[in-house]
Amino acid sequence: MSSRMGGLMLALVFLFLIGPFLIIIAAGMSAGETLAFPPQGLSLRWFWAVFEVESFRASFVLSIVLAVGATLLALVLGVPVAYALARYPLPGGEAMRTLLTSPVIVPAIIVGLALLRYVVIPLDLGIVPALFVAHTALLVPYAVRVVSASLANLRSDIEEAAVLLGANRVQAFFLTVLPNIRNGILAAFILGFVTSFNQVPVSLFLTGPGVSTLPIQMLWYMEFTYDPSIAALSALLALMSMAIVLLAERFLGLSRYV
Amino acid sequence: MSDAAFLDLAGMTLGYDGKAAVESLDLAIKEGELVALLGPSGCGKTTTMRAIAGLLQPMGGRITLGGRDITSLPANRRNIGLVFQSYALFPHLSVFENVAFGLRRQRTPKDELERRVAGAVAMVGLTGFERRLPKELSGGQQQRVALARAVVVRPRLLLLDEPLSNLDARLRLEMRTELRRLQRELGITMVYVTHDQEEALALADRIVVMRDGKIEQMGPPEAIYETPATDFVARFVGFENVFEVRDGQLRAGNGAALPLQAPVDGDTAWLAWRPHAVELGQGPYEGRVRGTSYLGQSVEYLIESALGPIKAEAPAALPRHEAGRTVAFGLPPAAAAAITR
Amino acid sequence: MFTSRTTGLMLVLPAVVFIAVGFLAPVLILLAQSLRLEDGWGIGNYLAFMNDGLGREVFWRTIKLAALVTLAAAVIGYVAAWAIVETRPERRGVLVGMVILPLMISPVARTYAWLVILGRTGFLNVLITNLGLSEEPLRLLFTETAVFIGLLQLFLPLMIISLVSALENLPRDVVPAAQTLGAGWIATFFKVILPLTREGLVIGGTLVFTGSVTAYITPAVLGGSKVLMLETLLYQRVSVANDFASASVIAAILMVTTLAANRLLRRLATPRRR
Repeated sequence: MSSRMGGLMLALVFLFLIGPFLIIIAAGMSAGETLAFPPQGLSLRWFWAVFEVESFRASFVLSIVLAVGATLLALVLGVPVAYALARYPLPGGEAMRTLLTSPVIVPAIIVGLALLRYVVIPLDLGIVPALFVAHTALLVPYAVRVVSASLANLRSDIEEAAVLLGANRVQAFFLTVLPNIRNGILAAFILGFVTSFNQVPVSLFLTGPGVSTLPIQMLWYMEFTYDPSIAALSALLALMSMAIVLLAERFLGLSRYV
Repeated sequence: MSDAAFLDLAGMTLGYDGKAAVESLDLAIKEGELVALLGPSGCGKTTTMRAIAGLLQPMGGRITLGGRDITSLPANRRNIGLVFQSYALFPHLSVFENVAFGLRRQRTPKDELERRVAGAVAMVGLTGFERRLPKELSGGQQQRVALARAVVVRPRLLLLDEPLSNLDARLRLEMRTELRRLQRELGITMVYVTHDQEEALALADRIVVMRDGKIEQMGPPEAIYETPATDFVARFVGFENVFEVRDGQLRAGNGAALPLQAPVDGDTAWLAWRPHAVELGQGPYEGRVRGTSYLGQSVEYLIESALGPIKAEAPAALPRHEAGRTVAFGLPPAAAAAITR
Repeated sequence: MFTSRTTGLMLVLPAVVFIAVGFLAPVLILLAQSLRLEDGWGIGNYLAFMNDGLGREVFWRTIKLAALVTLAAAVIGYVAAWAIVETRPERRGVLVGMVILPLMISPVARTYAWLVILGRTGFLNVLITNLGLSEEPLRLLFTETAVFIGLLQLFLPLMIISLVSALENLPRDVVPAAQTLGAGWIATFFKVILPLTREGLVIGGTLVFTGSVTAYITPAVLGGSKVLMLETLLYQRVSVANDFASASVIAAILMVTTLAANRLLRRLATPRRR
């Protein structure tokens, strides 16, 4: 295959992967009342309009709070696991590993349904705590995997050196291990945040009147309304993700962890 | 024995997962002494060192340091320094902070800390490098930082785990001299783990040769080098030709035997010759020259004989024996190290 | 002290308890419920689902679409990954970043783009009617093709990334070596590149296939009730029909399908000796 043909193929692939976003951005800038491309006149009115919709605002806040909270808890649970996997013989061996990675294997929609049927309804639990539990469980394997990757380059003898210089085990971890896996933890946070923020199937059954995450709210809205506001909102979300990813790539080399 | 002992290991049994790697080891080390633990990999020398440091809990036995039983004292309260084979520098900390790490754990006052770190850094010749990160240093410089970090806290005992094995040959010689100087200056007791007999001979006051978790021989370098106590030690310190003596015969591992060239004492169990002690061109035995290597001052010969391969060495000035030729050789017991029963 | 089993256990315990109680237990109960009948236990719910024409149709459509998407992703993925690996290393990073970027963007936004493109007043229809190819706007949305395109765009990056890292680990010069030995491009691909990158292909394939089988957003937005897939059917059964028995059957089918795909593909990844 000649390199010119390879370049052409690559251009087509990127047109397919990234082109649609350019179209959404353009569609969101329409001045008209209904969704169309090419847009009927240019205006930023729909970009401002999405901020006026109360249900978007509320679900955006919930999505952010949920993503931050679930990611933090997943890290609190996952970092010790990654550390244990790197330093100790794993008790329970393969079975333990399967259990810890099960949230990745189980289709997410099942988790939402199961929590609704067997936790939320019987225990009369609020929807938000259930969302929080489901998102956290989903993120733990990611946190473990990303942090493990950065622990893999760290030899265990630096902790032994710290201990011999008078540090106890806990100090040794916080003074020598943590500073050296900081980038991995930040990368795990960003990936976790993005995953949770964009998550739909888990949240599908765990939403109710007045309580909904942003992606679910968008799905509902587009079912009944055919105006450019979802295009504008999608464009905003795409730009937000791009900004996060570019910053993370610049400072952390995020692509090493994906 | 334990009167003079500063570090005393008594009946130490060590291992991982219930399997003993070192069995019932006794070892006493005097204050200010530099002792080398010498042996091939897997002989238990590193395991022993880790137990002294407190990184490995012994399965049995007792460790005493300066008259105090430290067997169950946690590693971070033993005040024993360790220079790791990999140096184990903290990658995120500067040279200064690496060296200051132990002092900060002891809450050393700021001005004293700065003074002592500066002193330790100067001692290893790295003044001016304080703000560099480990990855910005060469291997030899990292080695020096590891050394400064270990001694700045004034440990009661300094352990070194193959500290020179990651350096190139020239740097290794230089650091060897440096280590010896430091040990004299600081008067610190050191336990030095190595598989390199030359390094152990050059550095140590006393060498402990280990094999399969047991001490094979212990003594000053001269004794180890000249009068090995076992055939294993003999082979390890460069006696290439080691044969069992039985019924007036030399016996090789392959079962072959040749009569002794001259009578030996009745309690001689093994005879060991260094290559240069083998007589070449004369003597009662015969062999074929399999190969020669020119070493500059001398020539080394590999001879195929009834006893198996024999390694001999002769001054380069003498006439050569060509490969493939049959050559006479002798193994005079007077030139051999005798290992008694 | 550094190899104590109890310390390891203490470190993993919080996560294990959290996942076991908050995640695995409800999921297992749900899966067990699929065997629950009005009078005892059995596979009656499964038989009912498979005898129901819609259930069977949706199941096979899901498998078919996932397989087609995986196949298309593999073909396009090899071409794209090869082109990326061939570029200079400093440009390669940027290209890989451009592949990863869409993965970080909300799938709702990504799927919505196709609504804009394929809708009645969308980009393609405007193009088609303006060019006079058709009088009426075509029905492009709510077709299997629309769902296929949406899924392919969603999951293609996963395949490309897997294949890029597989191709990067290809031993140097095996391709020129094969060609100096007289192999053409097709022989080189099937005899050298494919066997050596099989593991990457299988990893990517597993991600794309299981991702497509368990997709919700794409069939929901681009397929609607005309092109149901397993997850959209499950949602319908719960939210419209309140039929938990058949929902739990679909859940179990989803679970078994993804597990089986994982197993099967992993077996394919381990090279047989010849």
